[in-house]
Amino acid sequence: MATYHSVGHVQLPRADAIRSRLIDTFSLLEHLHGLSQAVPRHTIREILDPSCQKKLMLGDQHQLVRFSIKPRHVERITHAQRLMSTLQVRCSKSPPLSLWAGWVLECPLFRNFIIFLIFLNTIVLMVEIELLESSNTQLWPLKLTLEVAAWFILLVFILEILLMWLSSFFLFWKNAWNVFDFVVTILSLIPEVVVLVGVTSHSVWLQLLRICRVLRSLKLFARFHQVRVIILALVRALKSMTFLLMLLLIFFYIFAVAGVYFFENYTRSTRQDLEYHMFFSDLLNSVVTVFILFTMDHWYALLQDTWKVPEVSRTFSSIYVILWLLLGSIIFRNIIVAMMVTNFQNIRNELNEEMAHLEVQHKADIFKQQIIQRRQNLIPEAQRSSISKMDARDANQQGDSLDLTEASKEESKHSATKESSRASKSKTKKSLSKMKKSASSSSSSSSSSYCSSSSGSRYYDPIGQLDWETHVHQNLPGLMDMDQDERVVWPRDSLFRYFELLEKLQYNLEERKRLQEFAVQALMNFEDK
Amino acid sequence: MSQHFYHQNHTRVISDSLLENVSLLFYEKLWKFQRKDTQCQAFVKRVIMSRLFKIIMISTISTNAFFMVLWTDYKTRYNLFRLFEVSELIFVSIYSSEFCMKLYVDPINYWKDGYNLLDVIIIIIIFIPYSLRKIKGKHYPYLNIADGVQSLRILKLITYSRGIRTLITAVGQTAYTVASVLILLFVLMYIFAVLGFCLFGVPERADLNNWGNLALAFFTLFSLATVDGWTDLQQQLDARNFILSRSFTIIFILLASFVFLSMFVGVMIIHTEDSVKKLERELMLERHMTRMEEKHVILKRQQEEVSKLMQTQKNVDHKSFTELVEKFKKTLRHTDPMVLDDFGTSLPFIDVYLSTLDNQDATIYKLQELYYEIVHVLSLMLEDLPQKKQSQSLEKVEEK
Repeated sequence: MATYHSVGHVQLPRADAIRSRLIDTFSLLEHLHGLSQAVPRHTIREILDPSCQKKLMLGDQHQLVRFSIKPRHVERITHAQRLMSTLQVRCSKSPPLSLWAGWVLECPLFRNFIIFLIFLNTIVLMVEIELLESSNTQLWPLKLTLEVAAWFILLVFILEILLMWLSSFFLFWKNAWNVFDFVVTILSLIPEVVVLVGVTSHSVWLQLLRICRVLRSLKLFARFHQVRVIILALVRALKSMTFLLMLLLIFFYIFAVAGVYFFENYTRSTRQDLEYHMFFSDLLNSVVTVFILFTMDHWYALLQDTWKVPEVSRTFSSIYVILWLLLGSIIFRNIIVAMMVTNFQNIRNELNEEMAHLEVQHKADIFKQQIIQRRQNLIPEAQRSSISKMDARDANQQGDSLDLTEASKEESKHSATKESSRASKSKTKKSLSKMKKSASSSSSSSSSSYCSSSSGSRYYDPIGQLDWETHVHQNLPGLMDMDQDERVVWPRDSLFRYFELLEKLQYNLEERKRLQEFAVQALMNFEDK
Repeated sequence: MSQHFYHQNHTRVISDSLLENVSLLFYEKLWKFQRKDTQCQAFVKRVIMSRLFKIIMISTISTNAFFMVLWTDYKTRYNLFRLFEVSELIFVSIYSSEFCMKLYVDPINYWKDGYNLLDVIIIIIIFIPYSLRKIKGKHYPYLNIADGVQSLRILKLITYSRGIRTLITAVGQTAYTVASVLILLFVLMYIFAVLGFCLFGVPERADLNNWGNLALAFFTLFSLATVDGWTDLQQQLDARNFILSRSFTIIFILLASFVFLSMFVGVMIIHTEDSVKKLERELMLERHMTRMEEKHVILKRQQEEVSKLMQTQKNVDHKSFTELVEKFKKTLRHTDPMVLDDFGTSLPFIDVYLSTLDNQDATIYKLQELYYEIVHVLSLMLEDLPQKKQSQSLEKVEEK
């Protein structure tokens, strides 16, 4: 590319980007290679819009659709929505059972019923445990009701799990809360079945029964959103601390194995008055002892006990204990606390991501409004029509007027640069405005109002201008990421011209900057006289 | 005299420059020293960097750790004696060959990486019990210590796990603060230990068990700082009717346990936050850089294709890109709609861009006005100046 430009031409990165955009949009490379490319006339959103789609399907069906790859913010798509859009469901005559099951599960009445049952289960369990020991025959009907209630609750839970399976079997297992529900229900089902079958009422099974009934109240955790959030945050904090825990385990291992070897003499000693004799006897005991030292419980007593045996060298045993205390319980514990604090902050920020995104969108909306306001104030006539068409059904007119403004802008810039390159002193000001006016009078009225607006903006509040710059810089990323619900229809040649002119504009701006610098230099050299 | 002096200096200068030349040559030769066995070196390097090697090392170290657990039990060691010897041989040979290979690949830079130093230390530790047995005989009392230190072998695993390495770098940056807090704690304990020794360890009714000498005093104070069993220690002091003992203990506990050890937590929290944020920022920067590079590559490829096209067009001599696409432009019709929804061609962007250009224009015109004013003022000054000069010259003439 460089060989085809005049000497001294500087490639601007922005201009290059615009040119590459042009080549992309029009698939110029394929054209120039001789492959013709049809023009896609529709975007993907048109296809997804049902009314538009119907119209398109009735017309010519061999149309091309332009795909644009842009990150879209996806709201939560429920399983029911997904199910509704599958081909099977749409072609069937009656809604499938899974849809009904899903509806029942989502129904607030059903959900509150389940929560109520969980509470009832807890109460029933409490009363039953109290009455377990008493052998008062008067209370026998109460016991019977409690038993029946417990069975009924279990049956409802099983029914709920069956409904969830009906709704979608595979998605059931992907959600960890459902798996937890399933495990708890099965655990409480097994002892009852066993007792029913009559494998004799061993006390062990009855105890298991009681325990598993208690676990059912843990199902409550899945129901309330706040509890869910807290537990999720806890799990994520633990997940991010896996490496820390691995490191801790490695240190546990090191000190446990070393402890067995270091205190061999202590274990083998035949003295009778050693309190902690078996604490380092084999690896399992050593691990427990290391954990005891980690919690800093009776470490000094343990140390003094080991000193009672003369073969144990005092230096090494005290080095061992003090080193482990410093490393493990002081340093590591504080590192764990620090990591938890950091992680909780991060997790809280991430869980609020949804809200943050909405906020950014809102700000981008406001910014857009402000831009419209500003243009409205500056150019009252020409842009008002375009603003009314801002919902972008057809921007033909806009394209035209923009074309013309671009052309006039170019011309006025050319004249401005020519003038400043002459570098004469006082007359240039008047001639400059004259040139501009003549240029503007030759074009349409919109451009003249444009120029007058620029002269009007000359007297604009300078503080407002500074604010505008920083304002734009702050809000531009938000605008870029915003979900564009609008699409703009460009006529093809206008689009081509738009890209061309934009590129030329970059070069012109660059040239103007350089000429400005020349003027400044000339001014500096002036004072040497 | 001065000539003689000069001559001496001259000779000194010459001898200095000679020495410098020789040393320079030597250094050049040293730096330019290239290894002759580049192919073998490259091969060994590939072996070391390969995944298979890593898997072998990780499994070796884990097996070694597991066997060490087995050997803690005397009976197992007795029964599986041969397995013990053979496995030790295998492990030691694997570790030393890894060390030799890594050293062979890069002898000078090997010593700069901390994890390699850890490997060297572990190899030294492995050879300690063998050498101790040889030198000092079988009944050296500290043999079990040497055996116990073998458990450090599992630290070799850290080299092969990226997650733990990042964790250690993040935590390692807090090491300086941790060290300072610990030193402060030590100084505090020293002061109180000396005080306690003099108060409770020297007089006749002294508590020699806990305050008898300085080491014991340190232990007692550490026990107070970690508030473990401190009431028993205090009881012993109470039983001997020391007056100041309670206030001494309570002041020390407040200072050491509440202030210092809590300070620890605060300091670690702040530093961990900082280092985690820094790591995240570095990660984002890296990702950003790779993305920019990819974009750049795509752009370059496009440009190259266009220039290739222009060069291969033989029938028409195109001068620039615009001429190339003239023909294409003619095929564009105004009524052909193109529907776009990207940001660069959207209306808000055009609005913002044009408004910003307006502002830029306004600022430049203002600047130009200012320039003209400056020029005007300077020209006025210039007009005044020659008049003044004339008057001055007239005055001079008059004076003369």
